[in-house]
Amino acid sequence: MAADTAALSEGLLAALARRRATGAVVDAAGAAGAAAAQAAQWGVTRSLLVDDPVLEDLAIGPGLARDGDGHEVLVWPEGRGRGWRELLGLEGPELTMGVTVPRLGVAERGTLVLETGPGHGRSIDVVSMYHLAVLPASRLRATLGEALVETYARDGRPPSAVSLVSAPSRTSDIEKISTLGAHGAKGLHVLVVADR
Amino acid sequence: MSGRRPVVYPDTTAPLRDRTREALADDSLAANLRAAGASWGTARARISAENPFAQMRDRAREIRRGDIGDLPELLDRLEERVRAAGGVVTRAADADAACRYITDLAAARGATLVAKSKSMATEEIKLNEAIEESGLRVVETDLGEWILQLAGQHPSHIVAPAVHLNKEQVRQVLMAESGWELPTDREALVAHARTRLREVFASADIGISGVNFGVAETGTICVVENEGNARLVTALPRIHVAVMGMERVVRDWDEAAHILQILPMAAIGDDAAGYVNLITGPRAPGEADGPEELHLVILDGGRSALLGTDLEEALDCIRCGACLYSCPMWRSVGGQAYGSPYSGPIGSVLTPLLEGMEGERSSELPFMSSLCGSCHDACPVGIPLHDLLVRVRARVTTTAHRRDRARFRLWSRAWSSPGAYRLSVAAARIGLRLVGRRGWARRLPGPGAEWTSQRDLPTRWPPTPPR
Ligand code: SF4
Repeated sequence: MAADTAALSEGLLAALARRRATGAVVDAAGAAGAAAAQAAQWGVTRSLLVDDPVLEDLAIGPGLARDGDGHEVLVWPEGRGRGWRELLGLEGPELTMGVTVPRLGVAERGTLVLETGPGHGRSIDVVSMYHLAVLPASRLRATLGEALVETYARDGRPPSAVSLVSAPSRTSDIEKISTLGAHGAKGLHVLVVADR
Repeated sequence: MSGRRPVVYPDTTAPLRDRTREALADDSLAANLRAAGASWGTARARISAENPFAQMRDRAREIRRGDIGDLPELLDRLEERVRAAGGVVTRAADADAACRYITDLAAARGATLVAKSKSMATEEIKLNEAIEESGLRVVETDLGEWILQLAGQHPSHIVAPAVHLNKEQVRQVLMAESGWELPTDREALVAHARTRLREVFASADIGISGVNFGVAETGTICVVENEGNARLVTALPRIHVAVMGMERVVRDWDEAAHILQILPMAAIGDDAAGYVNLITGPRAPGEADGPEELHLVILDGGRSALLGTDLEEALDCIRCGACLYSCPMWRSVGGQAYGSPYSGPIGSVLTPLLEGMEGERSSELPFMSSLCGSCHDACPVGIPLHDLLVRVRARVTTTAHRRDRARFRLWSRAWSSPGAYRLSVAAARIGLRLVGRRGWARRLPGPGAEWTSQRDLPTRWPPTPPR
């Protein structure tokens, strides 16, 4: 990995860690294994994946399905067919994981830029109990300003939704003490995939 | 219909003085506020040390001054771009117009359940009451707001609405709602709320959110949060209604990126919010979630009258809540005593300006400040809140304040004559000797009574040490 990319990944992961997210830099061959290991650590039994060539190239879906018995893998948008009650964990498994591929990652202050599209549901990470983000290292940018200007620079209609994610879901509404898992994902793990 | 609902809380019947007294006597409130203020102070000090906060603040001030200077033009651009993206925009002159638009929409779409994420603008227009009056169910989904809705209370802080309650008090409220026995354990209480509110997300027809700011360049609405409920509110229901104060516009993404970074620093002492939801129109063709309809309600509610006046800077506010935590008054009595959704220094400025100068809140709140200036220091956009407070004070015209002002004018005229000055000092000296005992006056008559109800007054200078 180029030196600047290494510094950017380090910046992103360090900033996220301060907000109690976790993550690692992995190479392409190790990504599927790392995703499965993280799912196992969280005890996840169902995953909801974005439909993205990055996940396909890295064989993340098959990697998760192989992990133990009965790990169910849904892919957006077909997975949406399950209905909100199930996706929200009110029915069926509670320990679920949303797997996303951010459009960009921001090193300074640690932020993922998730862009909505037909294959990228805007609710995937927050309906699930855990959030695994798979970010190709080439998508790292230094600052938020850079990332947002780039995201909105192109011609035509801007993306209908962009979610900036910088932490697991948290609330300080009870006695100002930060507690995880308020409404969105209780845990956030980022795999930065080094370029081949 | 008009005049049915004043802009800011009509339901505070006790006078401010009684409310603050009651708050001061509440020991558990004092402890909760102390803990909250201290935790904010520590986080904020750390984040200011780690970041070039002073420079960021200068830039933020420059941005907001520029945006408010060009507000009409930026609003037009925002409106045009939201429309181009397929959203519906409406401008509401006042609270009634905004509420009516939303309740009419709900009725037209046959909605029954409304899920809300935190929004001060909807507190301001008392939207929940309007929705309930129209026969629908509305549920706040921000944990703090939900707790308050269940407890029948109003928020005590812009960012941390339930900061005045402790976890045992929260547990009682949640047990009453569900009828379930719950442990006094923060994690368990949060998990419980998560499940209960998921039922709401799964079936709500309309999601209502606030707007931290709209980006004119692309017609994008920013909703900043940490829990994830705002995303669920804006992604799952069929219809999304966003309510925005008309001043909450920034020009472009460069400005937006800056404000997005300084806001959480000031608000929660972190250098990023957990989630920022950037929404441009309803769901696009081919997408399987997101609302089919997006409505943006832009609320005036007294704001446009401030443009071009010496109070205009009140519109720069990005509602971070830092001035509240920094304020010795707010830290002593909490937000509820203010009796307005906007409390603390910015609340004392905004409430009279939005509500009108008449009424008890407007004539009293601007005086709830020692003008120490800590709010100005805390403010990420550098609003000179203490100056604004003084300017708002000057506009208060109740009989009591007019009388006060006349008294001070007389006094100042008297003391500009050396003879009268010396005479009054001599008289005061004799008077104090008469009422004082062993060098201290413990109870003064007349206008001095307020002073001695809190502390003694020395009758000699230098004072004799109290025994
Ligand atoms: S006045 Fe300043 S400190 Fe107070 S809420 Fe507004 S932006 Fe924050």
